Amino acid sequence: MSKIEIKNLHFSYTENEEILKGMDFVLDERSTAIIGQNGAGKTTFVKLLKGLLRPTAGQILLNGADIAGMTVAQLAKHIGMVFQNPNDQIFKNKVIDEIIFGPMQIGMSRAEAEKKAKEAMAFVGIAGREEENPYDLGLSARKLVAIASIVAMDTEVIIFDEPTIAQDYAGKERIKDIIRTLRAQGKTVITIIHDMDFVADTFERAIVFAQGKAILDDSTKNVFAEKEVLEKAYLEQPNVTKLCQKLGYEEVFLNVYEFIEHQRKLG
Amino acid sequence: MKSISLYEEKGSVLNKIAPESKILYIVAALVIPYLIGSRWVSLGFIIASILLLLSAKVIRKTVPILGVSGFVLITVLLIQGLFRAGNVTPILSLGPVVFYKEGVNFALGIVINVLNILLSFCVLILTTKPSDMIENFVRKGFSPRFGYVFISIFQIIPQMTETMATITDAQRSRGMETEGNLFIRVKAFIPLISPVVMSSLINTKERALALEVRGFNSTIQKTFLNDEKKIPADKWIQLGMVVAIVAAIVFRIVLVVMYFM
Repeated sequence: MSKIEIKNLHFSYTENEEILKGMDFVLDERSTAIIGQNGAGKTTFVKLLKGLLRPTAGQILLNGADIAGMTVAQLAKHIGMVFQNPNDQIFKNKVIDEIIFGPMQIGMSRAEAEKKAKEAMAFVGIAGREEENPYDLGLSARKLVAIASIVAMDTEVIIFDEPTIAQDYAGKERIKDIIRTLRAQGKTVITIIHDMDFVADTFERAIVFAQGKAILDDSTKNVFAEKEVLEKAYLEQPNVTKLCQKLGYEEVFLNVYEFIEHQRKLG
Repeated sequence: MKSISLYEEKGSVLNKIAPESKILYIVAALVIPYLIGSRWVSLGFIIASILLLLSAKVIRKTVPILGVSGFVLITVLLIQGLFRAGNVTPILSLGPVVFYKEGVNFALGIVINVLNILLSFCVLILTTKPSDMIENFVRKGFSPRFGYVFISIFQIIPQMTETMATITDAQRSRGMETEGNLFIRVKAFIPLISPVVMSSLINTKERALALEVRGFNSTIQKTFLNDEKKIPADKWIQLGMVVAIVAAIVFRIVLVVMYFM
């Protein structure tokens, strides 16, 4: 199980405009969603985690070691990231070749990489499509190829950038399953996302970014209870939460199941 | 998105006048000194260009342009001044190194010409938004299809640069080294370039569809979203330039005729 400590993290692209203005928190085994308005610094933050950008001040410690001492390629063994648009990474003519690329880059043998790739394909639900051309697949299946290509790298930490884009209901349910299973395997799952219902259903912890700061950091339930703070960060509560509040319930419900469970108990 | 155009909006008169006026100015600045055959005229245009650039507050942007060509010009001056065939009159000697009048004179001609060309083009490029210029051409009968091709270059290149940056990030995230010796860079080429090509192709198709649904190929007379860039004085500026060019042509013809008489 990995621990990522964020210590007084600052970042700016240009001298007079600071994007991240001092962040302090620890990412632990809980699956964590980072939410916030566009421009709040979410993408910048995950790029810093991946070493693609370097902090202007402060530190990021991965299991106690400062990542400033690691190259992006070295970090790739520990932290995987699924980019928003699968087209940004796919370059092979066969699905299987695309998926074994990452594992082989981080030093796995071909046999091992193929084994991991097959497992990852079965895991995300695209088994049997090894020989197809990724660009013949629809966008939602191509996204699953991208996810499999990172899962196959078997990193301790996996970051998802907007995993639900271009996914229908079935696709979202599948990605929920993927995230929950990765969590159960002891991996640290982090996502940046705009889909609040998905967060409410899937993640244990939510961190709200606004204007370069983490203004809320708690269990998903507690975060979504803070209606006023969320509004200030231009975020909405999940639909079920809003509905139940309008119906006059004091308690915070994150999704349909919670609400039904609650009603059943009341008999 | 970063622009690849050197243009910057400063609200100056040069920003407001019609691009055609500036193009005519370039034509005049290049043609008139040639017709009259005096480098003093070129010098006059250089001074005019500098004054125009000063008034448009963009003179600082010419520094890098002049810096690059300045280096070449200095070597021209050195080589011609020292070694030009026909060098006979020394004007300056630093120990064994002797500069000759003929060579320096010849090189100065080149320097003045190059500076004149560069600065007069700067007057256009640094103060004109490319799409405004193309739009004015289209108004004057230039094919809108070609107009679009030219304008889209200014949008597509920055977009591709951005896509390239994201793709580099995505592949580095999968453990690929992109920096280092030549071998590493060659190995990184395919994983980086394939997604760029693929997504460019996809984008092109979608762009074509998006244009077509908005009537790109419609044969009906089109209107323009933006007002035409021009000021009342444009007419007079353009007239003045044309008159000056014609006058220079007449001057030249007279000169030739007189020579043969």
